[in-house]
Amino acid sequence: MFRLHVKYEWVSVWRDRWVVVLSLIFFGLLFFAIRNGQEKVLERQASIAKARGELRQAESKRRGEIDSVARGLRQYGEARRNPRLLSTYGQRMGKVVAMDAQPLAFVATGQSDLFTHFAKPKLYGEVYSLGFSELANPVQLLFGSFDLAFVCVYLLPLLVLAFSYNLLSSDKESGSLRLTLSQPVSLFSWLVAKLALRYAVVVGLIAATLLIVLAWHGIAMSTGLFWLLLLICVYVLFWFAVSFLVSLFGWSSGQNAIVLVSVWVVLVLLVPSIVSQLANAVYPVPSRINMIHNYRVAEADAEKRASEILTSYYRDHPELGQQDSTVANQYQFWLKYFASVDVLKKAVQPVLDEYDGALAQQQEWVDRFKVLSPAILFQDGLNDLAGTSTAHYTDFRHQVIEFNETWRNYFIPRMFANELLQASDLDQLPEPRYQSRVQPVWAIDLLLIVVFAAVVLGVSFRVYQTSSAERWLAS
Amino acid sequence: MIREIVRKELLEIFREGRFRVALLTVAILVVTAIGVGRQYYRQVNEQHEAARRNARSEWVSQGSKNPHSAAHYGTYAFKPKYPMSLLDNGVDKYSGVSIYLEAHKRNDAQYMAAQDQTALSRFGDLSPDFILMFMVPLFIILIAFNSVSRERESGTLRVMMSQGISPWKLASGKWLAVFTPVAVLTGLVFLVGGVLLANLEDFGLFSWWPLILLALVYLLYYGVFINVSILVSASVRKSSLAFVLLLGIWILSCLGMPKATSVVADALYPYPTQLEFEEQIAEDKTNGLNGHDPWNAESKKLEAETLQKYGVDSVKKLPFNWDGYLMQKGEEHEAEIYFKHYQVLKEIYQKQSKVYRTSAALSPFLPARFLSMALCRTDYHAHWHFADEAEKYRLMLVGRLNGDMVDNSRTGQWDYRADEKLWRAVPDFAYEPVRYQSIVEANAGHFLVLLAWWVLSGVGMLVAVRQMKVF
Repeated sequence: MFRLHVKYEWVSVWRDRWVVVLSLIFFGLLFFAIRNGQEKVLERQASIAKARGELRQAESKRRGEIDSVARGLRQYGEARRNPRLLSTYGQRMGKVVAMDAQPLAFVATGQSDLFTHFAKPKLYGEVYSLGFSELANPVQLLFGSFDLAFVCVYLLPLLVLAFSYNLLSSDKESGSLRLTLSQPVSLFSWLVAKLALRYAVVVGLIAATLLIVLAWHGIAMSTGLFWLLLLICVYVLFWFAVSFLVSLFGWSSGQNAIVLVSVWVVLVLLVPSIVSQLANAVYPVPSRINMIHNYRVAEADAEKRASEILTSYYRDHPELGQQDSTVANQYQFWLKYFASVDVLKKAVQPVLDEYDGALAQQQEWVDRFKVLSPAILFQDGLNDLAGTSTAHYTDFRHQVIEFNETWRNYFIPRMFANELLQASDLDQLPEPRYQSRVQPVWAIDLLLIVVFAAVVLGVSFRVYQTSSAERWLAS
Repeated sequence: MIREIVRKELLEIFREGRFRVALLTVAILVVTAIGVGRQYYRQVNEQHEAARRNARSEWVSQGSKNPHSAAHYGTYAFKPKYPMSLLDNGVDKYSGVSIYLEAHKRNDAQYMAAQDQTALSRFGDLSPDFILMFMVPLFIILIAFNSVSRERESGTLRVMMSQGISPWKLASGKWLAVFTPVAVLTGLVFLVGGVLLANLEDFGLFSWWPLILLALVYLLYYGVFINVSILVSASVRKSSLAFVLLLGIWILSCLGMPKATSVVADALYPYPTQLEFEEQIAEDKTNGLNGHDPWNAESKKLEAETLQKYGVDSVKKLPFNWDGYLMQKGEEHEAEIYFKHYQVLKEIYQKQSKVYRTSAALSPFLPARFLSMALCRTDYHAHWHFADEAEKYRLMLVGRLNGDMVDNSRTGQWDYRADEKLWRAVPDFAYEPVRYQSIVEANAGHFLVLLAWWVLSGVGMLVAVRQMKVF
């Protein structure tokens, strides 16, 4: 009996030409979105590969020069043009520290359109104030990208609603609900079965579409993909739950559609923007403008007291102050310059650290607001899986700054020792190894969406218990 | 007759719970958004004002030093916020707030707000433009989707037609009935906004007529949505189908098209990466004249020419400071390099803008979006204008400082010091925003497209009402 119900339900879903049309539209949207995401990833990888390739070429050229100069086969004119100089090499031949795309990067553009994906930290220069921003048309940033995350966060719920808005009402309108109620089947379990069937259809459709499109674009399968599907399934479940709840109120199909779309507008468009505004109103982003001022004050102060600070700096580094040594250090100019840069850096670093600390704190607070909306949670989870969240870019920036330290620590002691580069030294240079150190949060997001879905289902159950059959039969 | 239809329609609309809930929601949202926006605007403006004063006082009180050191120390230009940004923040979140002005280098605007925020902010903020651009059209769809189909379903359409009402009158009556609450709402928003803006401290920057123009743009935009809603309502049999179709149209024009156009614009005319851009400039710099590099071939040539011109055999014998002169020449040369490369960027931006303008034929949202940002001076063009003006100021600043060195010190006299008198003599950066006249001229195209949308969708609506099925 029950099986027959499910069977005919399946037939009626399948015969609905809207289902076919919507599935095709969805397929097209997914195709376009994944293509765009993949295009961005390929662009990103190409620009990194180009930077690496250029560096490799320059390195091998430089290696040849160093080698021939070391063997005395080549003249270079003035002393400062010596290719073996550590100062020149360290400044001009900085390594490419790159943030390679993660396997699921095509899923969500996230913050990747705001930041660079590779940097070449130099021996000196203000790496700590590097913006890491990418050139882009801000209009494009305003409109956002047409990526899988957009399709899933915004449009997927509509597909779900289209599949489920007439769950109960169509039966009422066609009169079959009376028949069903006269059967020895509990209406609730019958509804859940209907819902489960439609859920299975939607999830199957998404999974199949996703796999076909991914295969088409030649994107490799990974375990991450499984988690992505799971995350999508949970989000879809939430929307089915919402649709289920609304259907229990016994309105007509048309009314259901309007109510559900209104819910969609509220949950996907309004709540996130209200939460975003609220979060920033409660915890304002620390002012960059004030930071600039504090930075300038510290900078000017350090400049004014430069000689005094430098004297104490030389006390810490007596090797710099040496004037009476028999051989003058050929890097003396640079070492003194570094000393003054260090002095300045030491003065402004607290300002920058304070700002970064305040910003990290603010972002942590704002991050908690995500629990207010399943759409935000879902977006957060997708960005996390894609490796394009703010946390990923902050982590990358820290790793660039750390590598810059490593790079300097390689060169500066050798400059103090007044060494020159050998061709063989080039193999010993520090190599950047970027590895994301961000703690994954998508599992938490997933659980929270499950909680949302469970709450809505729980409320549905309450509504079911407190309603009578007359409510659903009344027209 | 039209008046009766409007009266009856308005009565029906106002009686509906749906309408009252939606109206109340939109009203609360707008009030909140304007309140929050005003607070934010004042806060930013205070910060900005303080920053501008600080930058100047830091500049003036930097102590005595070589003018070229002062040029390296540099100063900051801060992008001002204008009163109307309260209504539409445009791309401000995605363009930096300050530009560091220093010798030898044109810097980009730093610190875009979006970079300091988490991905949450990418959902958009609850700002007046969000409500005006996205929510009000939804509100229109909600009250107009069944304006004709409802009459058909209840049979009153037959009655009206049998009484010989002309489709033209029916359509305009329906149209006005939807337009009236929308226009009242929009009018109120702009009136309240205007009064709030007029009461801001920097009232001088605010004038009413761009605000009225902006209101007109929005009313035109809403007119398109009303036309389309009635068109669909008249041509589709079932109200619920009309609703779904209209929602689809809304998603396509407000969410889908802008994003899809961005993809196309970026694919057709991609920006270089930041590093590529910097390396191209660096390459031109090494092949060109470098003020700090007197061994460079081109500066040698300049030296020979100058020596010949003054009939002396050493730069020491020149009647001015050769180092300063050379640095200034280097600065001018570098400025040309920057100009060239930024011009390339600007061309890419203009080509991308053309793509956006073309696709405006597919979405009324796009011309309205661009017009709104432009009138509020928060569009990309306004940002370019600011960046260009800041660059002009930077060149003037560095030129003045180098000039002082050339005139008042001798070649090689690096211990020459200028003091506060010189720093004060350099005028402060006084930025004049884009003039409204040029905004209007530059955006006339968008306005025409929006107008075309209005006219064509209006004609479509009339045709649909004329040919609609009564049963």
